[in-house]
Amino acid sequence: MKERAFITLTNGFKDKLYRLAKRLLVSNEEAEDATQEILLKLWRNKSKMAEYKNVEAFAMTMTKNYCYDKLKAKETGNLKIVHSNYKDERPSLQREVEAKDSLEWVGRIMDGLPEQQRMIVQLRDIEQYDNAEIAEMMEMNETAVRVALSRARKTIRQELLKKHNYGVV
Amino acid sequence: MELSNIEKLLEKYFEGETTLSEEKELKVYFTGESVPSHLERYKDLFQFFSDESQVTASSEVSLKTNSSKVPWYTWIGVAASIALIVGLFIKDIPAGADHEGVYGTYDDPEIALQKTKEALDLVARLMNEGKKELVYLNEFDNAKKELVYINEFENTKNKLIK
Repeated sequence: MKERAFITLTNGFKDKLYRLAKRLLVSNEEAEDATQEILLKLWRNKSKMAEYKNVEAFAMTMTKNYCYDKLKAKETGNLKIVHSNYKDERPSLQREVEAKDSLEWVGRIMDGLPEQQRMIVQLRDIEQYDNAEIAEMMEMNETAVRVALSRARKTIRQELLKKHNYGVV
Repeated sequence: MELSNIEKLLEKYFEGETTLSEEKELKVYFTGESVPSHLERYKDLFQFFSDESQVTASSEVSLKTNSSKVPWYTWIGVAASIALIVGLFIKDIPAGADHEGVYGTYDDPEIALQKTKEALDLVARLMNEGKKELVYLNEFDNAKKELVYINEFENTKNKLIK
């Protein structure tokens, strides 16, 4: 496979890899590193690429595993940074900023979800894969995906309700 | 779309039972303008989802990272160390050539023998001159004899201990 063909192929899902990595690793730089790493691995094994049924799903699975390894390697150092953001949050007066804040709030709720649920929400609600594809990427069965998805969405709803009742935090 | 329909869809959504197209309907509805106040809190959620799907990496991914990962200034270090090593060896080469010039060799064995004798004589003479000075070393021996009296010291000490 020529480099150009490879790039055309991966451009279709490169951003999805990046977003998934960012959802898990939080930092932009690390997510970019992860994307780079995955694409390089794919490039090195390009001879085997024809054997894969679905390169995109395969790349997503690779990203997932890579991020898990990264997270395991540095334990919860990353999450601590995220948590410290909660305290800095102040109510803002301008409507625009407020709107942005409340979107960030949703992001923070998502970051609070367990990794697996976070990924499933990412894949389903943001990237709009169907459950069968997600099951393949996550190496789970479809029922487990549906259960995790529902659990994650309900947690998000609960957190949103909390926020709604207390007003803007 | 009717409000009751949306609420039903939302319920299904949280159970994880909506299809992708139904979720798309929800997304369209909630990112639109006419959302009743009791459902407004879900606006953020769907807005967030559609915003997040637009996020892209800021830097281009390249496949040739191995060469670009080495920063350019490392090559300065490499060049400097090569220059240093080469410099150390080169220093000896002209010096070796000089030695040959200073200590010329003689072609005629007779002259060579004579010159060698002269040189050895010179060394021997200087050596003998130097050795004369060493006479003073005898003073050392004399002084050592005086030290015999120290033994007296020992003897008295032994008596005292008894």
